[in-house]
Amino acid sequence: MFTLRKVFWSVFVICCMVACSSSDDNPGGGNNGDGYNRGALLINMADNIIIPAFQDLDAKLEALKSSKNTFIAAPNQVNLGEVRTAWLEAYKVWQYVEMFNIGKAEAITYAFQMNVYPTSTQDIEANVASGSYDLEHPNNNDAVGFPALDYMLFGVDVDDAAILTKYADAKYATYLSDLVDQMKSLTSIVLSDWNTTYRDEFVNSTDNTATSALNKFTNDYVFYFEKGLRANKIGIPAGNFSATPLPEKVEGLYSDVYSKTLSLEALKAAEQLFQGEAYLTNAKGESFKTYLEFLKREDLVSTLNTRFVEADAKLQVLNDSFYDQVNTDNTKMTQAYDALQKIVVLLKVDMLQAFNISVDYVDADGD
Amino acid sequence: MKKIILSLFVVSALFQSCSSDDDNTGGNENVIAPATYNFTRNGSTTVSYSGQTTRIAMAEELVSGFKVTSNSEAVLDAMFAHEAGNSDFSDADLNASDKNVRSKSAASTDYFASNTTDANAIKADFDSWIKLQVDEVFPNWANIATAGNAGQLQEGGGGSTRYINAKGLEYNQAFAKGLIGALMTDQILNNYLSVAVLDAGSNVEDNNNGVLAEGKVYTNMEHKWDEAFGYLYGAEADPELPTLSADSFLNKYLGRVEGDADFAGIAQDIYDAFKLGRAAIVAKNYDVRDEQAEIIRELISEVIGVRAVYYLQQGKGSLTTDPAAAFHDLSEGFGFVYSLQFTRKPNSNDPYFTKSEVDAFITTLMTNNGFWDVAPETLDVIAAAIAAQFDFTVDEAKE
Repeated sequence: MFTLRKVFWSVFVICCMVACSSSDDNPGGGNNGDGYNRGALLINMADNIIIPAFQDLDAKLEALKSSKNTFIAAPNQVNLGEVRTAWLEAYKVWQYVEMFNIGKAEAITYAFQMNVYPTSTQDIEANVASGSYDLEHPNNNDAVGFPALDYMLFGVDVDDAAILTKYADAKYATYLSDLVDQMKSLTSIVLSDWNTTYRDEFVNSTDNTATSALNKFTNDYVFYFEKGLRANKIGIPAGNFSATPLPEKVEGLYSDVYSKTLSLEALKAAEQLFQGEAYLTNAKGESFKTYLEFLKREDLVSTLNTRFVEADAKLQVLNDSFYDQVNTDNTKMTQAYDALQKIVVLLKVDMLQAFNISVDYVDADGD
Repeated sequence: MKKIILSLFVVSALFQSCSSDDDNTGGNENVIAPATYNFTRNGSTTVSYSGQTTRIAMAEELVSGFKVTSNSEAVLDAMFAHEAGNSDFSDADLNASDKNVRSKSAASTDYFASNTTDANAIKADFDSWIKLQVDEVFPNWANIATAGNAGQLQEGGGGSTRYINAKGLEYNQAFAKGLIGALMTDQILNNYLSVAVLDAGSNVEDNNNGVLAEGKVYTNMEHKWDEAFGYLYGAEADPELPTLSADSFLNKYLGRVEGDADFAGIAQDIYDAFKLGRAAIVAKNYDVRDEQAEIIRELISEVIGVRAVYYLQQGKGSLTTDPAAAFHDLSEGFGFVYSLQFTRKPNSNDPYFTKSEVDAFITTLMTNNGFWDVAPETLDVIAAAIAAQFDFTVDEAKE
């Protein structure tokens, strides 16, 4: 019957139910309640890192455009060398902006149109042959950008002499030209948005909500480190996500010898952003690092610094050609992956928890 | 005072009825579930559900067949309504089997025995998805899809290519996810866990007296319960250690819901209910058996509801930036929404959403150019309407 014990437990249970209801309101607003000036961090990111990097990329793509115009006017060995050099210089700078998938870049799926690899040579050849294509269509994400140029400049035929012969065909010249012009155009759109309206919107969006700039920016950074850097450059070719290694999925497959260069640039870019180093001067400002220090997490900063050095060392010992590296000694690739994965965990779990920022992405469904 | 005590008791009782503790009613203390779904009689296993394993395998081949453009409608129809001996499948055992998928779709005793009108309409939907895949999508396999035109569309970033109809719907997803409701969920919740099926004929008397099915090592009632179990775990290599990645149907998506921290534990709760219910049949305790059936009904219904909301919300997020990815999510969502009509509210004979309510959702999703011009607000409204009937929120389900 109704024993006193039962009444007691009923009351107890009700208390528990009340106590369990979560209160996730987060007082403090603009500074997330922890006293840190998030706006200062965003200002340093925008003014000293993001915008200068986009400006440099824009300039490098302008140079690429110029070399390309010279090349298609006179497709000879010297001009091919010039356009390849300009492509590599721009590709290196790209490694400093791929992580900024926010604002206009996100709206126009900029990264999907600049650096999706492996590129689809089938789609490229079909576009060239038809002469009719919409480079912005999602179906062409793997037929445009730096990887498509990698194929057009290094892999479109068996050797340089044969490649030069290809460009006697106006269809190849036109496609090469359209690819470069499109990359320059997209980059100008993103840069212009930063220069006109988005910079102010970005630095003033300091709330701790899923859509505020700092939360999105931080998530973008961590996502880029996990996917664009760790998985795409190293993990996927090394076979970490498949039954066997997939060396044909490396970045820079056709030029062959730049995979390491590009990965080292990418890691350097990620570390400089963490440290808050200005793109042009390397002067240090507010950053994820100083935010962690403000939160008395010198331990995490110290560990991350160590892990960045270790990851760099693991990349340094790789062959210039990741394709060769996977085929000759894949263990070094998986060791580099492991070093990067250690950083992913520190960023995604420890750092985001310290900032009280929720992860806003989930692993793809996979079907 | 009496009133207060009574209300406290009611609250207490409510709370207890929500928990899956199995010590809240009298008479079941003599039912002890084994550690795993393992039941024997005289040293031989009494668990059998080969027919369910067979149908899951047939459904897998059929769904794969939606992406083979050389398949005619007749070939796919024959896989759906297989007849013993016909070479419809790559697996000889499936060809030899007298089982098929179509006859068990929308075919439960509780929902469809006296509602063949709806059953026929539902079967006709599945038939039409096969026909339209062949008639509309296969001829446009290489064409780029646009609003109003069937074809293919690649996910952004060099992702998977999706093959869609003029409204952006992938028929293979509609079919596969619809089957989770029409075959697995309907057969489990509304057929094999139904009192009408478990207690049919002399099942109770036979089970009480240990009378086995002719030539078998199990009683009829035991076997019915196992057949329910088989529609969820029938593709598992070791059903005593479910991986929840054994098929492309209910098993897989229970795994997905379990993987969402908001719902962690649901897989164990379902497994435990199957285990205890089966043990209750052995112990001849039919109250405990039926309590477990209600738990399973509620939780499997929840799996369908969570995934419907999840995919509608996922699709909403990429509608403008990555249409192919959005349409893929929405096509899966379409199938899970369709499956809602086979769910079962515990202690009732009703689904969480009726057929006409589901049809209204589907009509809304497919208005005009369908996914090409569906408004994000529309997806939110449907997701909220679904979540409102369950004990979870849109936010909990969406990631």
